[in-house]
Formats: sequence, C-alpha cells, structure tokens
Amino acid sequence: MSLSTPYTYIQCPCSDQTVLSSGNALSDPEEDERTFDPKAPRSNYSLYPLEYLLYCEDCQQIRCPRCVTEESVTYYCPNCLFEVPSSNLRSEGNRCTRSCYQCPVCIGPLQVGAIQPTTDANLLPTQYQTNPTGGPYALFCQYCNWTSTEIGIEFDRPSGIYNQLSKINNGGKPKLTLRDVKDRRKDNPDEPPVPDDQVDADLQFAHLKAFYQSRLSETNTSIRGLPLHDGLGFSSPAALTRIMSLYTGRGHQGRLQQGPADIMREALGTNDGLKIANLDESKEIKKLINGGWDATASLEQRKEQTEPIRFEDQLRPIAYLLRSKRSKRCPACRHIISKPEAKVTSTRFKIRLFAKSYIPTITIRPLNPTATPAPVTYRPMVQEEAPLKPHQPYHFVVTFKNPLFDNIKVTLASPNATPGRFSSRVTVLCPQFEVDANTDMWDDALKDDEKDRSRKADEGPEVGKIWEKGRNWVSIVLEVIPASLRIDQQPKKGNEKIDTSPLKSGEDILEIPMFVRMEWEADTQADMDGPASKDKEAREKRELAYWCVLGVGRISQE
Amino acid sequence: MSSKRHSVLPAVDRSGPKPPVNFSTSLTISDNAVLQGTHSITMQAETVVHPRSRIESSVGSVLVGRRCIIQERVHLGAPSDNQDKGTGGVSLGDYVLIEAGSIIEAGGTEIGEGSIIQVGSKIGSGAKIGKNCTVSHLSVIANGDVLPDNTVVYSNGTRRTDKRGTPELRKLSIVKQIAMLRKMIPSNPDKFR
Repeated sequence: MSLSTPYTYIQCPCSDQTVLSSGNALSDPEEDERTFDPKAPRSNYSLYPLEYLLYCEDCQQIRCPRCVTEESVTYYCPNCLFEVPSSNLRSEGNRCTRSCYQCPVCIGPLQVGAIQPTTDANLLPTQYQTNPTGGPYALFCQYCNWTSTEIGIEFDRPSGIYNQLSKINNGGKPKLTLRDVKDRRKDNPDEPPVPDDQVDADLQFAHLKAFYQSRLSETNTSIRGLPLHDGLGFSSPAALTRIMSLYTGRGHQGRLQQGPADIMREALGTNDGLKIANLDESKEIKKLINGGWDATASLEQRKEQTEPIRFEDQLRPIAYLLRSKRSKRCPACRHIISKPEAKVTSTRFKIRLFAKSYIPTITIRPLNPTATPAPVTYRPMVQEEAPLKPHQPYHFVVTFKNPLFDNIKVTLASPNATPGRFSSRVTVLCPQFEVDANTDMWDDALKDDEKDRSRKADEGPEVGKIWEKGRNWVSIVLEVIPASLRIDQQPKKGNEKIDTSPLKSGEDILEIPMFVRMEWEADTQADMDGPASKDKEAREKRELAYWCVLGVGRISQE
Repeated sequence: MSSKRHSVLPAVDRSGPKPPVNFSTSLTISDNAVLQGTHSITMQAETVVHPRSRIESSVGSVLVGRRCIIQERVHLGAPSDNQDKGTGGVSLGDYVLIEAGSIIEAGGTEIGEGSIIQVGSKIGSGAKIGKNCTVSHLSVIANGDVLPDNTVVYSNGTRRTDKRGTPELRKLSIVKQIAMLRKMIPSNPDKFR
C-alpha cells in the first residue's frame, strides 16, 4: 500500500468475522466491542481506498474486489481487439489465433514485414513495409530489433501468421503434425513410431488427446453402448445422467459385464502420447560452452514460452493471451453490481455501483500544514509533511463529503489510544454531526457562504463544534498526540510483557482506526416489498456502519 | 493576459561564448539551435540540426559526421558531473540519429556510424558506442561504457546483438528523413559563423 500520508482506507466488512457470525447466537458480545487494529497482519487484506470499493444497493453493504464474484462477459485479444466467441475459446485455446504476436525477447508487439534483398538499395522502402511484389515475410520487433529470421522462420504470406507458424519449426523445417504421422503410417504401416526427439509438445498433446478420447469412448460404450460426443467428458450432464442410471441399476448389469473394464490403461508408446524424458544433456552442455551466456534465454523469456526451452534460438513468438471483460456480482444477493459494455472498444459500463456515490468521502489534512504546496508545473509531485514529534498535540481536519441526495447523520467513534505497541492519544473533537444533502454543484458558487469560513480564521478548534461546513460537506477537527517510538519509554501495563523488539517497518506511521456510522432517511424502494406502501412519500430509515483507517503521518524517531 | 501561449518550461539560455564553427555548405541548421562553448564545432555534409537543440563545446570540441540528424532539445556535449571525466569532447560518426531530448555528455564520447540514440536517452561521458547500435528510449549508458557494434540496449539496460544485418536500410531511411527535413527546417548557418 502507498506510504504517502495522509490517506484514508476503508475496511470491507467481508473480512470481519464478527459480521459473518452476527446471526449466530453464540457470537461473543465482547467481540463486537473490540477495536479494529489497522496494523494487524490480517487488516492488510481488507483495507481499500474508497475508489476501489463497490456497493450493493440491495444488501446496502460495501463490497470489495475480494468479496465479489466475477463472470466473464467477453474475451478479446488486447492487440487486435477482436472479440473471440467462447466456443472458439474451448476449441482453440486462450491465445489469439490471428496474426498477433509478442516478441519473445522483450514482449513488444511484433509486426509483419517483408524481408528485402539488401543488394538493390534503390528500390527499398524506408520501413519494413510490405511491398506489392511480395517475397518472404518475417516478424519484426520495433523495440529490441529482434526478427523471426534469427530463429530461421520466414513466411510466404503476410497474413494468417498463426496457421503458418504452427507448421514451421525453428530453423524453417516443417513441423510434424498428427496428420503427417497418420498419413505416413497409412502409406507404410510397418514404419516405427516417430523418434522422441522429433515429438514436440503440440504433437505429443495431439497424441495424448487422441489416446484419451479413444479410451473414454471405449469406457463409455461399456456404460451405455453409445459413443460419447467429441469433447464431452465425464463432467457433461449427459454423461452424468448415464452414470446415475448406472448406479440406480436399471437393466444395465448384463451389458456392464460384457464391455471392457472401466479402468483405463495408461499411455504405452509414442502414438499414445508417451514421451520419455531425455536425460542426456551433453548436447545442451556443448551448446552452452560454445554459445556462452548470451545464447541462453533469460528466466522471464522462458516463462512466456509454452515449451520448456533453454536457448535463445529456441524462442518462439508468443501469441497474445486473450483478456476478458468481467462483470461483478454481489456474493450475498447475486445482483450485478458492475457490468461493462460487451463491445471491446467501449470502455463504458452498463452497471457500476461505486461505493463513492453511496458513502461519504473522507479526507484528512493537517490544520497547520508544514509543507509548502507544490508549484503548478510540478503538480504530480506531493510535498511530504514533516514527521510528527512525539508528545506534542497536532490537529487534523477531517472532511466528510456527502454524495447522497439526503441529509446524513454521522457518528464517529475512535479508540482513545491507537492499538499497537506505540499507542498515540486520539480525540475526536466533534464525534456527531449532520452533513447536508448533495445538491446541484452550482449551488455552492451561487450561495454566499463566505461568513461561515471567515469566522474560523482567528479561532482555534473547539470541542463539540464543527470546524467548517459547506454545501454537502462538513469538516471536524481531530486531536492527536503521537506516542514516542522509543522502546524503553513504553508505559507498563500490569503484568503484560513488553515487546522490546526493534521498530518494524510501517510501525512509525500513525494510523487511527475510526468507526463511522451514518444514518439517513431515504425513499422506500417500491419494488422491494410485496404490498405497496400507502404513502408514496414514505421514508425509511437506513444506516450503514464501517471501520476506516486514517493514515495521519509519520512519527519522527528521536 | 496576452493571447500568445507561453511555454511552461523556462526560456532557453542562449548566453555564453560563441564557439568557432566549421560548417559544411550542405548543412541544415535552424537558427533556433543553440551553439555554445570555447572549443570548435565541426559539422559535415548534409547533417540536419533541429531547432532548440543545444550543442556545447565548453569541455571539448564537437565533431558531427556526415548525414547526421540532431533532433529537438538534444544536448550534445553536456558537461558531465562525473569527477574523473575524460578529456575531449564528442564525436559522432556518419549517419547518426540522435532523437529528441537525448543528452550526450562530453569527455571523449564517441558514437559510431549508423547508430540511433532514441528519445530521451543519456550517454555518459567517455562512453564508446559502436557502429549500427540502437539505444532505445530513455536508456542510460554509464560513463565510459563501451558498446560493441550492432548492440541493442533496451528495457533497463538489457543488451542484445542485432542480427538483422540491415545497416543499409537504416542509412536509406536516414537519407529519406534528411531529404524531407531539409525542406521543413529553414537553414541559417551564417548566424553561428
């Protein structure tokens, strides 16, 4: 998480065990009163900036990226933005089958270009553009200057690279496919199976697939006497009903004994997809001695490859992995809370329920900032505040901005002392206040609320009073007395043993857990209850409560 | 407020001594370029210098070969903050393309024929870059580093050898660029003489 202070994180209730077990009669009453500790190891996973959170309108609850369930809406190639139907996905895999490739060296996008004869310099175009006369083509990386000619691959046509590439091995030799092997065996039945060093992963997979399909269909014949459809396994509903009927045992006993055994035999030879590991690595060692470090592929490059390889000349262009657009559902009520438009080129959403438009935005800033504001031209830069001195009171202005079109009543609760080893004193000067409804944004400019602001210029913060107030926001003051970070100065608490280990990372950041409870009156939802309410103007009381963490700043180590 | 737009960046510092120059007659140099320093600046035939580029010879002399392109906001011959800097200036071979915003420090720095220094790179003082090298965007070459011929520097200093063997194609593309740039950039070499 970002370490620049100040910040506000909100805890998603999904990780809170007490909320989950609240329906349980056995829930410990003391558990409910415990304070949320932002420094506990578990908390890291439940704290989110407000912008990351969604909101379920039906459950009236915050939903975080961890607790929503996701569904894919579309699959598409990030390079050509082609939408891939999910049926193709099943048959052709999760990579783009058009001409989209990534450089195996630097993962930059590859471009198809013609390999020009370099002798006739006057006819050459400046870039590697396709020329109408044709000629061999290759893939070029514009970033690291890799070309597919380095691994000996050239293409006859500039289109359909996927199909062309799947037929060539590195070095330009044609790739052995299952069909080639079958044809060869048809012509010459006595030919021995393909030697292992010629079997690559694709061929082996094709063999294995054919083998298991034949095995499966044999096994299934034994159940029903009907071959299963291609691609249907044991998990298909049809197969399941067959298995169920087998267990209920209606007139299949006789047939079952006739058929072959249920147990499948393992792959036995190359034609079944068996490939024995080659443990003789003398060829690789020799290559390593000759080529040295530069001839080997790096770990990052090897990770992207589909086959296990070692050397740079074994690299193959990487077909782009498809990406998906996902919709998100509430885990409790199954309502969709975020749904992007299915069109790949559109970045808009059909449904998107941000928490930001349902719960107040909480911002925190020091009352007397020490850092000078960054000049406009350096704007992304943020000036860090000076570290907080221990045992010295600091005031912070916490602003609540109401996104709802109803007034909200906010109640804050925070522990007097922050949890953890170094507990700082915290006082919320105004723990209960009301924030006005969100209205038209121009009201702010039209309304003259100058006198509200000028009043505060000379006075200090007062207990029980709002610091500043605007159209749909209220700011209050928080007083903090940071604790000393010196381990020998920790106060003794009864017989408790004091942890005297050195300062851990992040422990010098002063984080204040705060419980926010908001209450408001909203229009009743007509579609929710069966009998329509008599009064159309009926209002219902709603409330929402959650923990948030205010990251105030760093405590100086003296 | 005047209607004219002003750049956010500070104005270019055009002060400093005027260096002795040795220009080819076929040179294209914008009068918005900045030439500074005390040592000589030599630019050979058909080289193009864009506006707002800055060539400094305060550390050592600058030599720019034939058919080079020096793009905008390039700082050629920048003084190095390195303590034990080498003597001498900067020398570029023929067909060298230095893209916008790159900084080439002085101190015996050499860039070989047909090399391309891409946008925003920094070449340290005394670095020796071979022929037909590519230094990709925002790369930093350390002081005194030596790049063999045909090296490609990419992604945080990773290096590999360019095996395309197409230096002629590159030269051709530079020739075409120069042909276009000569029409676009009004040349005024007399300003610097």
